[in-house]
Amino acid sequence: MSGPNGMLYGGDEIGALVFDPGHHSLRVGYAQEDTPKADIPAVIGVGPATHIPDAEEKVPDGNVTQSGTKAGNELRHYIDVTELHVARPGMEVQTYMKDGQVDNWDLFEKMLDYCYAKVIRSPSEHHPALFTEAVWTTRPAREKLAELLFEKYQAPAFFLVKNAVLAAFANGKSTALVVDAGASQTSAVPVIDGYALVSAAVRSPVGGDHLAAQAKAMLGSMHIQMLPIYSIQSKEVIRERERARYTLKTLPAGLTHSWQQYMLKRQYEDFCHCVAQVSESAYDERTAASVPGLHYEFPGGYHQDFGPERFKLTECFFEQSLGAPHLVCAAASSCDADARPALWGSVVACGGVANTPGYLDRLTKELASRAPSSHRLKSHAAPSPAERRFAAWIGGSILASIGSFQQMWISSQEYDEGGKGQLERKCP
Amino acid sequence: MADILDILDIEHPGATEISRDSIIHGDKIKKKYVTAKAVKRPEGMHREVFALLYNDSNKDLPPLLPTDTGKAYKQTKAKLGMRKARKWVWAPFSNPARKDNAVFYHWKRASDETKEYPFAQFNKQVSIPSYTESEYNQYLKSEDWSQAETDHLMDMCQRFDLRFIVIHDRWDRAAFRDRSIEDLKERYYGICASLSKVKTNPWSNTVTTVNGEKRIYHYDAEHERKRKEQLRRLFDRTQEQIDEEQMLLTELKKIEARKRERERKTQDLQKLISRADSGNVPTVNPVPNNTEGTHTPSNATTNIARRHDRKLHKKKLSTQQRPVRTMEAVTVEWSGIKFPEARSTGVWLRSQRMKLPPGVGQRKTKAIEQELRQMNIDIAPTPTEAICKHFNELRSDLALALDLKNALVACEFDLQALRHQYEALNPGKTLTIPASICNATDGETKPMGEIIDVVGSPSALNSTI
Repeated sequence: MSGPNGMLYGGDEIGALVFDPGHHSLRVGYAQEDTPKADIPAVIGVGPATHIPDAEEKVPDGNVTQSGTKAGNELRHYIDVTELHVARPGMEVQTYMKDGQVDNWDLFEKMLDYCYAKVIRSPSEHHPALFTEAVWTTRPAREKLAELLFEKYQAPAFFLVKNAVLAAFANGKSTALVVDAGASQTSAVPVIDGYALVSAAVRSPVGGDHLAAQAKAMLGSMHIQMLPIYSIQSKEVIRERERARYTLKTLPAGLTHSWQQYMLKRQYEDFCHCVAQVSESAYDERTAASVPGLHYEFPGGYHQDFGPERFKLTECFFEQSLGAPHLVCAAASSCDADARPALWGSVVACGGVANTPGYLDRLTKELASRAPSSHRLKSHAAPSPAERRFAAWIGGSILASIGSFQQMWISSQEYDEGGKGQLERKCP
Repeated sequence: MADILDILDIEHPGATEISRDSIIHGDKIKKKYVTAKAVKRPEGMHREVFALLYNDSNKDLPPLLPTDTGKAYKQTKAKLGMRKARKWVWAPFSNPARKDNAVFYHWKRASDETKEYPFAQFNKQVSIPSYTESEYNQYLKSEDWSQAETDHLMDMCQRFDLRFIVIHDRWDRAAFRDRSIEDLKERYYGICASLSKVKTNPWSNTVTTVNGEKRIYHYDAEHERKRKEQLRRLFDRTQEQIDEEQMLLTELKKIEARKRERERKTQDLQKLISRADSGNVPTVNPVPNNTEGTHTPSNATTNIARRHDRKLHKKKLSTQQRPVRTMEAVTVEWSGIKFPEARSTGVWLRSQRMKLPPGVGQRKTKAIEQELRQMNIDIAPTPTEAICKHFNELRSDLALALDLKNALVACEFDLQALRHQYEALNPGKTLTIPASICNATDGETKPMGEIIDVVGSPSALNSTI
């Protein structure tokens, strides 16, 4: 904390937790660490409690939180991949997120219960909690979260920061134009001196989910069947493009549509992860064809090379009016003229989609052709994929462990005195 | 033993400051080896030979097996600390930067227990002026701003530490009308200014004290608005506009280059004309020199032509027979110095005007400097307008005078040479030079019709001999 010469360096860890709820997953972990402790899918399986799977009996410490919502009609909540990805009859998959905000608070509570009990394994009253939020989070949602943390979880302190600000911090900048290419949407938010400019933020619904949907459509048009991996009992080794030979598993009856769709979506996501790539410049059949193809084997055993298709997939991210370059331009141009040079000088890309190979290069290239020539354009993204995906969480981790930040928390005393109304004031 | 005591937290009396030595050698009793006295080297034996002998007292015994670890076993590699490890405790702390005395826990050194939270020192706040209601009514009333709106502004200034871009972004547009950043700044600095006039406590960031006199930062909103507008226009240019501007800029460069070219030509012409003017006087009676084999240029234009192909001319001269005296037509190269007008646009130093044009040779520059020194004039005076003008005129005149002097000397020389030639060709006769054209002592004359085309450069003079 303090050096031999009286200088202050490093941070000050007070055991704070950082929660970064997203559409795809919730990241949670201790501040001052470089990666979150857990990255939990942002969906919860809700099923009847009567069915107790075999695995559950063997492992008494399974990741299941039991809760009785209504007497007689007990529901179980299945959280995290080990529980969620098990075929259970009657288990519906629900998400608590909507438009970048927490929407279903009951489910979110279950998620937080799980985090404290199974990830942190420590009582919530010991840990100040820092939450990230989307720039456009409404006031009721913010206040509800504060209420939940203070009243249910008895957190000693709470703070809310905009995820764009944290992503900028994670990249070592206090002024940046943050391009957050997430699962549900892509947004461009100008950040000035650690404050997000709310009115200049722009977003589009093109994100990782859209990419998965595109992949689904594309595979459909190619007549390639994507089978969910849980349905395959065994498969044979076949030659490329040969018809798949596999045997199906006998699955319990009554699997819900939502769960099947969720599992399939994971499969399409996996396909995108492996195959999708961003071409250097606008999609061109010939240049794309010149790049060697990439091999992908589907769960059923069918496998083939994907050539130009993988570049075609990602073109939606650079689409004329919904793509990231357009968002950046729109966000920058709605800022004050004095702030623009600084913003153009540090465009920061983060989010899971930014991990697509070639994303940053393409973004830089597209921006260079659109940015005013009088500005020096510099775009930046963390080098490692984890740092890009968890940019907001890492920023939160940094912020919550800075010594001078410790005065900013809303403490439980303050909450008791001032109520949730002070949230707007304290967490701009 | 000491370790156990440490673990059990029992202070043992003998625990003095642990030194490196005590750790390395620990509790071993220092053994003193009694070493046999070294065998003395016998008289007359060479030192090198003696060193080859095996010596029992030599502690550097040769190893039985070859090793490559060197002396590692003798030294401790671990750099052990000199002191005991200091304790860290998970302790509560309250941050003086917080107003609520909230208690958090963190790791800290047990020795720092009493110290204040070190990061509290970074809690810096911008001081924002405050006013009471009566003060507002008295000094700050504005037609454009209601008190509620002003209060909101001051509150925002405090919250966002005068980051007006952020303030503008978070401005309560539901309650108040949309204001530009300039409006906000104008109002804020206006309030600062009017309050600092009536209040004693100045706000450090807007009021500076210079020589005991208060200076209030004045925000020029109109200027800022104009600047922003210009910036906005600059940024909002389309690619076509930028290309057009580039095109225009290159065109401008071309035009300027052409203009310079033209100016250069005009200068040349000017030179020509002035030379023609000075050349006309001596060529009133263009009587050709009968002794000359070459033609005599009778006007300045041909002189210029000759000047350009002087080299060629030189060659021509050298082919001519030696005894016949050729009369090189001489000319005044410059009539003084023509100082160029400042033609570059934009800002320039006036001293630039005093720079000699590049056409003036080094020899001439030196000569002028020499003259100036003789006249006790600074060669680089302060370039005021008047000094510039006069200094340039003076140097121009000096240059002309020098040229004329040179020309005179050259003519003198020619005259004398011709006289000797004449006397050699016509033995017994003497040529009397009329006193009117000769300032030499002996008075031999030349015909009046002699062309006085004065030689400018001494090199030209040499070539004529």
